[in-house]
Amino acid sequence: MLRQPLCRALALSSPARAVPLASRSYSNPVPAEPEKVEVFINDKPVYVAPGTTVLQAAAQVGVEIPRFCYHERLAVAGNCRMCLVEVERSPKPVAACAMPVMKGMRVKTDSDLTRKAREGVMEFLLVNHPLDCPICDQGGECDLQDQSMAFGSDRSRFTDVHFSGKRAVEDKDIGPLIKTIMTRCIHCTRCIRFASEVAGVDDFGTTGRGTDMQVGTYVEKMLLSELSGNVIDLCPVGALTSKPYSFAARPWETRRIDSVDVLDPLGSNIVVTTRTNEVLRILPRTNEEINEEWLSDKSRFACDGLKRQRLVTPMMTDSRGNLMPVDWEDAIVAAARALRDCPPNKLLAVAGDMADAESLVALKDLVNRLGSENTCTEQYFPLDGAGIDLRSSYLCNTKIANVEDADFVLLIGTNVRFEAPLLNARIRKAYVHKDTDVALIGPKVDLTYDYMHVGDSASVVKISPRGPEGSALLAYTQELACKLQDKLQDKEWKVLNVLQRTASQVAALDLGYQPGVGKALQDGPKVVYLLGADSGVVSRDQLPKDAFVIYQGHHGDAGAAMADVVLPGAAYTEKRATFVNAEGRAQQTLVAVAPPGMAREDWKIIRALSEVIGERLPYDNLDEVRDRLSEISPALVAYGDVQENNYFAQARALAQSLQKPVSGKLDVQLKHLEDFFMTDTISRASPTMAKCIQAVLKQKDSPY
Amino acid sequence: MSIVKILGLDKVASFFNIIRQNGGIRGSLYKLYRQDELKDGTLVGEDKFGNKYFENPRYFYGRNRWVEYSDNYNMNYDGSQVPAEWFGWLHYKSDLPPHKDPARPNYPWMAEFTENLSGTTGQYTPYTTTRPKVEPWVPERKSTV
Repeated sequence: MLRQPLCRALALSSPARAVPLASRSYSNPVPAEPEKVEVFINDKPVYVAPGTTVLQAAAQVGVEIPRFCYHERLAVAGNCRMCLVEVERSPKPVAACAMPVMKGMRVKTDSDLTRKAREGVMEFLLVNHPLDCPICDQGGECDLQDQSMAFGSDRSRFTDVHFSGKRAVEDKDIGPLIKTIMTRCIHCTRCIRFASEVAGVDDFGTTGRGTDMQVGTYVEKMLLSELSGNVIDLCPVGALTSKPYSFAARPWETRRIDSVDVLDPLGSNIVVTTRTNEVLRILPRTNEEINEEWLSDKSRFACDGLKRQRLVTPMMTDSRGNLMPVDWEDAIVAAARALRDCPPNKLLAVAGDMADAESLVALKDLVNRLGSENTCTEQYFPLDGAGIDLRSSYLCNTKIANVEDADFVLLIGTNVRFEAPLLNARIRKAYVHKDTDVALIGPKVDLTYDYMHVGDSASVVKISPRGPEGSALLAYTQELACKLQDKLQDKEWKVLNVLQRTASQVAALDLGYQPGVGKALQDGPKVVYLLGADSGVVSRDQLPKDAFVIYQGHHGDAGAAMADVVLPGAAYTEKRATFVNAEGRAQQTLVAVAPPGMAREDWKIIRALSEVIGERLPYDNLDEVRDRLSEISPALVAYGDVQENNYFAQARALAQSLQKPVSGKLDVQLKHLEDFFMTDTISRASPTMAKCIQAVLKQKDSPY
Repeated sequence: MSIVKILGLDKVASFFNIIRQNGGIRGSLYKLYRQDELKDGTLVGEDKFGNKYFENPRYFYGRNRWVEYSDNYNMNYDGSQVPAEWFGWLHYKSDLPPHKDPARPNYPWMAEFTENLSGTTGQYTPYTTTRPKVEPWVPERKSTV
């Protein structure tokens, strides 16, 4: 940590840390609002809270002060000096980003002195900055370019009469995601502050001083973080750029489409950058409720997986058992015949981890019309007790953003760092800034912050909440959560949070899919319809020999390899579709590129199939499908909103009978960084993710 | 001016001459059908594809040299079937037909003449050398047969 509050350092030695639960008072009373201070920005009066910086006060009246090192979400460094402004009765210009406001302060952001100071700073920065712009990947979105145009001097005094050249710095190798051209670095230290404050890896730092100052990792080391890609966005110049995107495109050539990420359960908001029907890169889009302005590395860099291993044409097995490309008509007719001739109780539909709500509802309607109730998701969740009847039992009820307000976080059987990296960043933020205490039941993993490890045996959950024997564990968790909730002063605060692991699970449970395929598989289904189900929970060995498997999805993986009929669908960048994230927030993706080859939008495929079977589904366009979604649950089409969840007490009462003794150990699938990169069909197809795993494994062997 | 010319009898004579030269009435009708025109002329030469080249200065300049395509082509003849060496003579670039032109280069490395093959199976098809934007999944073959 670059700057940790002093209280934190003192608290480390106090005995209160050992027993945080006992010694802390919860729900600290909100201190009274301090009186506002009047300051004048260019003679415009503005009232701000004391402690605000000049830069923030200026932003409130719409005056933007140029800056390089200052960033809203990072600690103030004040070392670039670009934000120098003139303050009346101050002998020198002051750094606006670090200067707190004082009563009656008169700031001039456009005076001669301010302008001269900026020009001077800019001149110093450019003395050692290479004139690389034509071959620099940051060109067009570079802060230094923009600000030298806006605030720099209009002529140069730089004459290299002795041909001594500019300062040159050796490039660093910090992994397969980030390309470093350290000569371009202007030492704003944003990357260092991000790594130590948000990502929680203290690898970055500076060495030397003056001209010899360098930003780097001291020893050659990969930046081992699941959030490392964010330093690319943070870097105001082209010193840190994206390796997979290097020399690919200029920002003015591309189209940007707002969308939603589906590679983790949080549904981070993203911008998909495309050119000539090709996804070039994915950037985060600011959403304070979910991802702030960060994005996890998998969501950001797995987009090259969208171009490989794709299903581009319908396929059917021929007489020899090989999958051969066929026309849509043949594939649909074969699938329809199998579905129609199947006895209803032998029909099974399984939804995978990236299925959208529209295709989920279409598939469920179709299967129900054929007389079957067997619609499942791949991820298991206990069904006993309240099960999935009450929405509060399977959602992140507190909402992601509110994690920051928590006083105590208990994690049960989860490795949040890799299952939902941005939620972990939030918990870390609470840990750093609010002294939140964290405890973990489950295997000991690195969460980037200190936590109390309560143990990994499920019986611990009896005294605190959730366990490995699904139902009983959930029952205990609900019990504990309710008990804690009764003690809170804030009755609106929701204690129980369930973190689903895939983007489709919440929508599927809302629609009435049964979590887990266990029971349905034992009945020996004759026809299995896999909607993007690739995680391997359904395999040929578990099915009867004559079972007919229909796979619909966008990547060739475990599911397509075992299928008799393959129907190519669209990936999340290729369709307008609804996804519901772990907190129950419905969001929609938009079409960034067209589906490749003969692939089609998923709900349309199921709709076409229903027509051929003779059980026509009553919707012809997206609006009508969404009307159907809202019939089932209005929350599924309330885009951007989270509905309040309740009935915790009822869920607890229903689960009362399930509190049997639990044994066994809690385990998580994603323990280490190398497990994080490949978890679904898109990231498994991505060469960049494969390189990441290689690099992490190599780093493990290195002595540093 | 002779009486024959005044009465136009020379035209009649050349009509019969043309019919005779083109192989009688049947042959003339066939050539008329194939070439839309019936001419008399001296055979200047024949290329290796069987095309025959004729000349008759009686016709107006520009129509006084012509080619009769080989019967092998049937009705599928077109201008690109005239080989490069005869092209010059046919288009008045030169008055020397190729077999009488001593300056005509003839090296062993010179390529065989080919007609324009567009629209046939032998046509040139351009292909891309860049990687495809989307690489499709190729299913594993379960049986090798």
